[in-house]
Amino acid sequence: MRLVPAPHLSMEQLAAAYNEARVDYIVPMPLTVNRLRHYINIYDVDLARSCAAVERIGNQEKILGLGMLGVRTGRGWITRLGVLPSGRRRGIGRSIMEHLLRGAAECAVSVTWLDVIKGNTPAHELFLNLGFIETRELIVARRPPDYQAQSARTGRGHVHNVRTYNREGALALLEQRRGRPSWLNEIESFRKAGDLSAISLATTQGGRGWVAFQVSLLRLTRIVVEVIVGDPAGVCAALLHTLHSYYPTQDAISENVPADDPVWPGYLQAGYIESFRRIEMVREI
Amino acid sequence: MTKILIIEDNYANLTLVMRVLEPQGYELHTAADAESGIQKAIEELPDLVLIDIGLPDYDGHTVLMWLKQVTELAHTHFVALSAWPAELAAETVDRYGYDGFISKPIDIHQFPTQIRSYLSTAQDV
Repeated sequence: MRLVPAPHLSMEQLAAAYNEARVDYIVPMPLTVNRLRHYINIYDVDLARSCAAVERIGNQEKILGLGMLGVRTGRGWITRLGVLPSGRRRGIGRSIMEHLLRGAAECAVSVTWLDVIKGNTPAHELFLNLGFIETRELIVARRPPDYQAQSARTGRGHVHNVRTYNREGALALLEQRRGRPSWLNEIESFRKAGDLSAISLATTQGGRGWVAFQVSLLRLTRIVVEVIVGDPAGVCAALLHTLHSYYPTQDAISENVPADDPVWPGYLQAGYIESFRRIEMVREI
Repeated sequence: MTKILIIEDNYANLTLVMRVLEPQGYELHTAADAESGIQKAIEELPDLVLIDIGLPDYDGHTVLMWLKQVTELAHTHFVALSAWPAELAAETVDRYGYDGFISKPIDIHQFPTQIRSYLSTAQDV
């Protein structure tokens, strides 16, 4: 087995290997080639410092695993780590991780982040063994469309000063967040994402806040809620009800809401369900 | 003939489902991603759609939400097919309004009976 830089392989090979590595995962989340390209761009993946484990079998080289390294100012992020079923229990995951951590050190980052799906025990244990520590749990939440227009009834009655924002306005709001977003939701990710919008409002109880989101024909994604004043859950629920009253037929996904964020109960009030959790981890270089 | 559409991106899983269902006399159609699955469902108007939750472009929930808005598919039954643990999938499957959930890997002995039961429910309705 040897490690090769990811650019030595085609995007088709990387996507196929990634999908095969995760075929039996709790949450497989396969990718098309286009989605992998998009992912690499949005999340600042440094392909030259990402790698794949390959093995020559006869005349062919088979990919046994892969991992990617995202790099932003002062920090790194390990992602898309996966070992194909045929390559497991051979230390390949650890070899890939060590390669990625060396790459992170070369980039002069001070910390490296990652998140692992809760319940993926082998990966979680590997990360702990490599010196990563847990920081928090992140919730991936979903909300089916609201055909009965429940949000239209619930959301509009108790709010005023509803204002909508275009992409630039949404980015300006996202710059003002007080909490630390996960890598997926950092401002760098949003700057490269298209079709961003936002809504701000006030509630009759004196609360204020905004919700930013990415809208497409089928769904709302990248939903981020910020409560400026007032009851976090109540204002969050009002924001989300208002959002879904504007987009009643779209499926909705909000990734990486911190489990201890006081806005989370507001998601539940607005009809969201917890799909799964990730554990965020960090390691100093 | 009863039509079944299988939306599944993993070739091995798809092959297994096809091998189990083909001898049952169904007219089978397949799609490997969400967009082609939506397209094929609208073209073929199947009696039952098996939807893998983890698809590479949009996931199964988004596919289902889209198909449920198609009037011509009002009598079609939708069954989630997933390796997600049942307890993790249960609430989501229920809230999204699937008619059922079948765990992967499928049990090749039980699978035809499971499919028949969803189709008979559809006919009862």
